[in-house]
Amino acid sequence: MNSYAVLTAFGQDRPGIVAALAEGLSRLGCNIEDTCMTRLRGEFTMMLMVRLPTHLPAEALGERLAPFTSPQGLTVLCREVPAQAAERGSEPDIPVFMLSVYGADHPGIVAQVARVVADHRGNITDMNTRVIGAADRPVYIMILEVQMPVGSRPEALGQALELLKPSLGVDLTFRPLEQVRL
Amino acid sequence: MPVRPILLYPDQALKANTARVDPANPEVAAIVQDLLDTLKASPGVALAAPQIGHLIQLIVVDVARKKGEQGHGLVVLLNPHILQQEGPRVIREGCLSVPDYTGNVLRYERILVQGLSPDGLPVTLATSGFEALAFQHELDHLDGKLFLDRIASLSTDLFRRKR
Repeated sequence: MNSYAVLTAFGQDRPGIVAALAEGLSRLGCNIEDTCMTRLRGEFTMMLMVRLPTHLPAEALGERLAPFTSPQGLTVLCREVPAQAAERGSEPDIPVFMLSVYGADHPGIVAQVARVVADHRGNITDMNTRVIGAADRPVYIMILEVQMPVGSRPEALGQALELLKPSLGVDLTFRPLEQVRL
Repeated sequence: MPVRPILLYPDQALKANTARVDPANPEVAAIVQDLLDTLKASPGVALAAPQIGHLIQLIVVDVARKKGEQGHGLVVLLNPHILQQEGPRVIREGCLSVPDYTGNVLRYERILVQGLSPDGLPVTLATSGFEALAFQHELDHLDGKLFLDRIASLSTDLFRRKR
């Protein structure tokens, strides 16, 4: 039975930090599975799922990586993941929707949108947000991928989101992600 | 005739529905002139009436303003709509009303667009390439759509414009 860990690392962006972390994992015998890395403004952030070698518990991984990551100023956090959540399985066929929201930036947009999605049993499976626009007129934009499981009502969620537009002062589109099997 | 300020999102004129225009309406000629003057003073190649605050179906396109592009030259179109489109492709486009950013959107390489000239005559244009993209972008403005409505991912479809 394989064992897995999820590891997050972040630090001020500069050349070489991905190399340092990946080399550290490689030397320790970890196999990098899926990753998501991006720069949030000046901070580089990494999320990795790694397969651990036998005899390396997840809780020891951060400490063993420190010789590689500390000189880079990286903060590293690790946690074991149950194998059944980490193994690649076939994804159930759940309808997927895209939700784009944008408007003048103010606190609370994410919270209120996410609450409405959750109350309609929507599952947010991917989300990015960005502040764009001129410095004196910042525009907040967020794009979410939302799975609507069997028994949930996408049209009801769409209607509830429409009601948010005037109260939140945002524009939004909620649309099914068209998937074709060729 | 004055140059008008180009409205920037979140101005709600950019998200509103627009009304069809009657070419016989004397007020339309003044708005056409304002739109042309504003286009001339802008760095862009096309504008739609909502971008200067008029919620009517009017666009101006002049891709010859860009070096190396010819197209149909200056086109003023009232009540335009797309009759046919073919050749889907993803291209990266920007908008004068959403400064500093560009986005990957799905557009069509060739379109057939129909509308009225300012003197009320029917016009049908077959256009392709850069000019076809300009028409599709301006027609979106008449539906209250911005490229922000068409992108699918902030990490792969939205870009800060190079300075």
